[in-house]
Amino acid sequence: MGLGSSTANGVPPVRNAPARLLLHAIAMLLAAAYLVPLVVVLLNSVRSAEEIAQTSMIGWPLAWAWGNYARAWSDFCIAQTCTGIQPYMMNSALVTVPATILSTLLGAVAGYAISLWRFPGHAWIFGLVTLGVFLPEQMRLIPWTIVLRDVGLTNTLTGLVLIHTIQGLSFTTLFCRNYYLSIPQDLIKAAKIDGAGFFRIFARIVLPLSPPILIVSTIWQFTGIWNEFLYGVTFTTGTQQPITAALIALTAAVADAPQYGVQSAAVVLAALPTLLVYLFGGRYFVRGLTAGAVK
Amino acid sequence: MTTIHRRAVLAGTAALLATTARAQGVKPRLTAISQWSAGSDGAAITALGKKFEERGGVWQHSPVPGFTTDMMNKLRAQIMAGDPPACSQLKGPEIAAWSKIAPTVDLTDIVAAAGYEKVVSPDLARLHKPGGKWAALPLQVYRTNALYLSKRAMDKAKADKIPVTWDDFNALAEKMKAGGVANPIANGGTRPDDGQKFEAALVGISPTAYRAAIMNLDAKALNGPEIKAAFAQTRKIADWMDPNTAAQHFSTNLARFIAGDMGMMIQGGWAQGVLLNAGFKLDDFIIAPGPTNNGKPVFLLNADAFIFWQRKDPDLQAGQKLMAELVMDPAIQTMYSQITGSIPVRSDVDLSGPGWSDGQRETARTLQGAIAANQAVLSLAHNMAQENGMTAAMIDVITEFVKNSKITPEQATTRLAEAVEGAR
Amino acid sequence: MRRVAEYLTIWVPLLLSAGHVVLFTAWTTWMSFTPSTLVPVVGWVGWRNYAAVLGTRNWSIAFDNLLLFGAGFVVLTALTGLGLAILLDQRIRAENVLRSIFLYPMAVSFVVTGTVWSWLLNPGMGVQKLVNGWGWTSFRFDWLIDRDMAIWTVVIAGIWQASGFAMALFLAGLRSVEADLIKAAQIDGAGPIRLYTRVILPSLWPIAVAVLVILLQFAIKTFDLVRALTGGGPGLATQLPALVVYDFMFQRGHIGRGSAAAVLMLLTLLGVLLPYGAWKFYRQRRAARA
Repeated sequence: MGLGSSTANGVPPVRNAPARLLLHAIAMLLAAAYLVPLVVVLLNSVRSAEEIAQTSMIGWPLAWAWGNYARAWSDFCIAQTCTGIQPYMMNSALVTVPATILSTLLGAVAGYAISLWRFPGHAWIFGLVTLGVFLPEQMRLIPWTIVLRDVGLTNTLTGLVLIHTIQGLSFTTLFCRNYYLSIPQDLIKAAKIDGAGFFRIFARIVLPLSPPILIVSTIWQFTGIWNEFLYGVTFTTGTQQPITAALIALTAAVADAPQYGVQSAAVVLAALPTLLVYLFGGRYFVRGLTAGAVK
Repeated sequence: MTTIHRRAVLAGTAALLATTARAQGVKPRLTAISQWSAGSDGAAITALGKKFEERGGVWQHSPVPGFTTDMMNKLRAQIMAGDPPACSQLKGPEIAAWSKIAPTVDLTDIVAAAGYEKVVSPDLARLHKPGGKWAALPLQVYRTNALYLSKRAMDKAKADKIPVTWDDFNALAEKMKAGGVANPIANGGTRPDDGQKFEAALVGISPTAYRAAIMNLDAKALNGPEIKAAFAQTRKIADWMDPNTAAQHFSTNLARFIAGDMGMMIQGGWAQGVLLNAGFKLDDFIIAPGPTNNGKPVFLLNADAFIFWQRKDPDLQAGQKLMAELVMDPAIQTMYSQITGSIPVRSDVDLSGPGWSDGQRETARTLQGAIAANQAVLSLAHNMAQENGMTAAMIDVITEFVKNSKITPEQATTRLAEAVEGAR
Repeated sequence: MRRVAEYLTIWVPLLLSAGHVVLFTAWTTWMSFTPSTLVPVVGWVGWRNYAAVLGTRNWSIAFDNLLLFGAGFVVLTALTGLGLAILLDQRIRAENVLRSIFLYPMAVSFVVTGTVWSWLLNPGMGVQKLVNGWGWTSFRFDWLIDRDMAIWTVVIAGIWQASGFAMALFLAGLRSVEADLIKAAQIDGAGPIRLYTRVILPSLWPIAVAVLVILLQFAIKTFDLVRALTGGGPGLATQLPALVVYDFMFQRGHIGRGSAAAVLMLLTLLGVLLPYGAWKFYRQRRAARA
């Protein structure tokens, strides 16, 4: 880690001291800039609404309103139901966790099938599945309404899981297929000669090699589904709604004096799961990408 | 013969018993969606829900947070899934449009039994009777062109006369500026707000032109001098606003309005509810009718309503009947309007009691006067005059005009006419 | 029996996914030719919906904004990401912490990003008010309400949110540059700057293209961010195609026109993706032949 060593790939770091000092200074400045929004929200979450309204959105708390968090969690009123954001967080979890797991696993199998099993038509199917990454969500709202109606899942959390799994498959298949391309075909051929079939090869050879890409996929899906708003609002009602729908009260023009303090606390709590995911998984995210998620 | 006869009797008795059982046993239930999740609207609908429950019903209201569109999407999704709510918030020409896509309940009998139609203004009634049959019931009436004056700003301007015409208004704004009120107008800059400024200007200049151009979309009227004059007046109003808050919701300006740093607001009746909810007192501001040049009262109507969707479930049907009765009840309308600052739909409600503000009393008087003078028109900015698509196209032109001082009234007039053609 | 299980496992998810892509696109395209307003209906109006959409100021402003926003956002985010990646690659202390700091904006939902930035950039509430409060009263940072500059506020918020992703990809690329190439260049006496410009950056080219394409499609689909930050305003100044689609389809109750706008948006996307796909295909063919 000292100045004398080179980076892992042989790219030599800048060595002279003044340049390194400058580098550190730039890094700190940039880090500070990126942290500003987070810090502002964190500070606001412990300020009272009156204080924010009277001074500005950016400021050090004059008095510490720690109670904001408790209120946000259990008594904040959203749409006349005063249960705080707790039930909505639960709903988000009930949708995000199953959909993430399902889309990741199915994507891994699909990516494996496309890259290593090369069945007839695999290029076309892959192209179509990947196209799903680029489809705008407005185009899908009404068709999903029709589909959910026909399978009888309107207004259920299960319906949301279905939507996010099928849509998520586009991303996860893309990630996994690109990753699995780096597994040598000979390995597969040898296993086939040994008599292993589709599932055994997956379980014995492919899956053990997969953790980096599975982590990338899980992080990406978890974040995307947890933060999704449009389908959450349209396809659920009342206390069934996910947390993003509850937070929208922040942006809609409410004819009320906005409760910025408690709302900031709610924002922090709502963002906590995904923030933690990136905090702990960030390094694996980069590693997974390095291993070839996007080629 | 005897068998059939006996079976028929048995069947008839069973049916009779069932009906009686239903009439006695079914608990009215109501599923409702609206966007009234907070503020005085939220408080009012919750109070209505409590009354519903007091009468023995099960109240299942799910407000949809977010913009109105999110609520409409929810409604559409439910309708397409074959599961519409028993009633939902809807207003204006949208009632007629939506009633075409799913069956609504025919409320004509209930309305007739309550003698409701006699006490509702005809323009309003027409909107809620698509195809001649009542399908929706209005809940409250707002005026969108009320003039709010800050007492402290009036003091600064050393003025005590409430402006009546647009010339008076302009003169007062200048006096306020001279007296140290940096930004005489406290309006916000959201789309409906921009629409309000324009429609208040137009209706004050010429209600006939308003009716022809905005409500009937007459091409000649749309290109007429009154429209140009209305844009010019709107430009004046826009210039007197604070550019920093020019794109925000008006509620961000309330503190300064009361303190006298801003002087006047052209807002709807709901602003009273918003001001009171924010902790300000009725004594701090004056509510007056919006400026009108021809001496007779003028009223821009905005009314919220609930539309009733056909459901086969007997408990929902009972709930709809109960809800309809409640909505038409003068006592309920009194309660509702006192919370939100609107005026009741019924023209026979006595507003002299203590729960009403002078502003509300004056609003009701103005409405009666405007109806008599045929100057009660439907608000464009609040989706009463036209369907959403047409309204949005027209507001596009208006909001661009307000935000861009380089657009001249002539250009805006031409663009407005083009937008109307394009959105037909 | 195993073959059946195999077929099902391969084909069911893939068909569901590919199927939904094809069906939804086809359905939307069909809708764009119908007179659908509040709900989908059957009918045929030819090109009228397209003409109506293309004729509105909303669409032309939105498209112009897309070009401006697209170019600005994509280029600046990619450059920022590259810069951050090079920075992190320098074996600085606290690399892990820094990486987390640059990546965390990706964890935040667009709605929250748009909201928080709208607070910060609000002249009456945020940065401008703060600086004015410190005494520098002539300081102005009112891009949010300025018709000409408002689109740049969306760019700023977008860069903050997405540069972490670009950084992650570039970092991955930097870390996989072949050591031999670098050694060879060093033996030839190349200094650090020459090393970067002649060896490292050129070998990042494929990743850079991937970053540009991903960012571009993200820019084209931008919706939640703009809605939360500016709502499309002031006036129509920050309209973008995705907002126009939503506006027509749901706010104005005109599914036919909204679908036409969606198809136009899709064509724009294809205009970016097809050349990229063709280029990649061509490259792979060349690599295979070489």
